[in-house]
Amino acid sequence: MRRFFLPSLVTVMFLLESIIVQLFPDPLFDVYLLVPRILLILIVFITIFIGQTEGMTYGFIFGLLYDVAYTELLGAYAFAFSLIAYLIAKAMNVFHKNAWTASFFAIVAIACVEWYAYAIQLVISRTTMPVQTFLQSRFLPTLFIHTIVILIIAYPLKQTLLKWCEKRDESSPV
Amino acid sequence: MPKFFLNKRLIILLVSIMVLVALIGFSLKERSELTWMEKFAKDTVVFMQSIVHKPAQLVAGFFENVNDLRRTYEENKQLKAHLEQYVLLQSEVESLKKENERLRELLDKKESLRDFVAIQATVIGRNPDRWEETLIVNKGSQHGVKKDMAVITPQGLIGKVRSVSPFSATVQLLSANDRQNRISAFVQGDENVFGLIEGYDEEREALLLKRLPYDAKINKGQRVFTSGLGGIFPKGLFIGEVEEVVADEYGLTQIAYIKPAANFYDIDDVMIVKRKIEMSQEEEGQ
Repeated sequence: MRRFFLPSLVTVMFLLESIIVQLFPDPLFDVYLLVPRILLILIVFITIFIGQTEGMTYGFIFGLLYDVAYTELLGAYAFAFSLIAYLIAKAMNVFHKNAWTASFFAIVAIACVEWYAYAIQLVISRTTMPVQTFLQSRFLPTLFIHTIVILIIAYPLKQTLLKWCEKRDESSPV
Repeated sequence: MPKFFLNKRLIILLVSIMVLVALIGFSLKERSELTWMEKFAKDTVVFMQSIVHKPAQLVAGFFENVNDLRRTYEENKQLKAHLEQYVLLQSEVESLKKENERLRELLDKKESLRDFVAIQATVIGRNPDRWEETLIVNKGSQHGVKKDMAVITPQGLIGKVRSVSPFSATVQLLSANDRQNRISAFVQGDENVFGLIEGYDEEREALLLKRLPYDAKINKGQRVFTSGLGGIFPKGLFIGEVEEVVADEYGLTQIAYIKPAANFYDIDDVMIVKRKIEMSQEEEGQ
C-alpha cells in the first residue's frame, strides 16, 4: 500500500490539472488564462524532499503523459520537467532543505516553465500572442495564484513526503 | 577544450535537446493517425480521468446550483416570454418540414447535405496547458468518431475532431489558432454570401470569416452557418452572428468578424456530428 502512495498522488494531481480547467471555467479562467501547475509543484517537492532520481523519473514519465494526452506536442514537457528536477537537485547542494526554499524553487520553476512553453509556441508559430498580453493575462495571474497555493500547501506537503520517505526507509531491508 | 566535450552531462543534454526538436517536428507533421502508443496512453488517461471526473463534477455542480438558484426568478420571466414565440415557431417548422419532405420526394432526392447523425459525448478534460484550446471527450473510433468531424453544442458549432483513439477523441475548438483550420461557411441573407472561416481574433474574441466578395452587402447581426461545401461538415450548423465587416488588406475581399454563438469555456456535453452523405457518394453523384 505504501509503495503506491507516491505514484497515485502524482497521478491524481496530473488528472486534476485537466479537470480543474474544465470544471471551473468562469469567471477566473475566462478572463485570465490561468494555467494549473500543481504537477510541477509536486515534482519540485519530490525532488527536494525525496530525491533526484525520483524527481527526474516522475518528471519525465508524467511530462511525457502530459504531452501525449493533452498537448500533442511530444517531448516538450517531458524535457522541461526532468531538466527542472535535475537543476533543482543540483541547486539543493547549496541551499538548505526546508519548506521555504522548496516554495521558492517551485515558484521559480513555474515561471521558467511558463516562459519555456511560450517560447516553444512562438517558435512553432502556434500563437501570435504579444509579450505584453502574455505577461498580463497569463504569466502574472498564474504566478500569483500559485504563490498563494504553494504557501498554503508547502508545509503539509513537505511533512507528508518526509513521513512517507521515513517509512519507506524503515520498511526496506538494508 | 577537450574536457568540455568529454563532459558526459553536457553530451546528454545536447542529445536530449536534439531528440526534443526531432519529436516536436514529428508531432507538428500533418498526421492522419496517432501512433498506437499515443492511443494507448491517451485511452488510459481518459479512463482514469473519467473515474476522477465524477466526484469533481459533483463538487463543481453544487456551486453551480447555488448560482443558478439566485437567478431563477429572472430566468423564469424570460423563459415565459420565449415560450409563446416558441409555439408559433414550432408549428411553422412542422409545416415547412413536411413541405420539404414532399418536395424532396417529388425530386427523388432523398439525402441532403443537412442530414447528419449525432454522437453524444461527455467532455472529461481540457488541455491544462491552454496554449491550444482542446477538449478531451469520451467517445472514440469505436463509437464511429473520425478525424475532422464537426463538434457542436446546442448553441452552435464549437470545433472539430483533431485526433481519435479507440475510446476517446481530442476536439480542437474554433478559438484555437490553427491556419489549417478552415471551415466553409455562408452568411444568411436574401442572397447567401459564401466565405471561409480562417482564424480567431483573441482580443475581440471573434472568428474571422474571410474571402467574402468585395461587393457583398453584409449587415451586423446576420447569422453565419456552415455551408457543407468543405466535404466533412454538414450544412446548416450555426456558427455565430456578424459583428463587423471590414475590407481586407488589399481591398479585394471583405473580412467579417463573427461572434461565436457557443460559449467556448463552459462546455460539458457535446455532439459529434457525422454527415450522412459521405465524400465518395458525392463524387459518384456528380
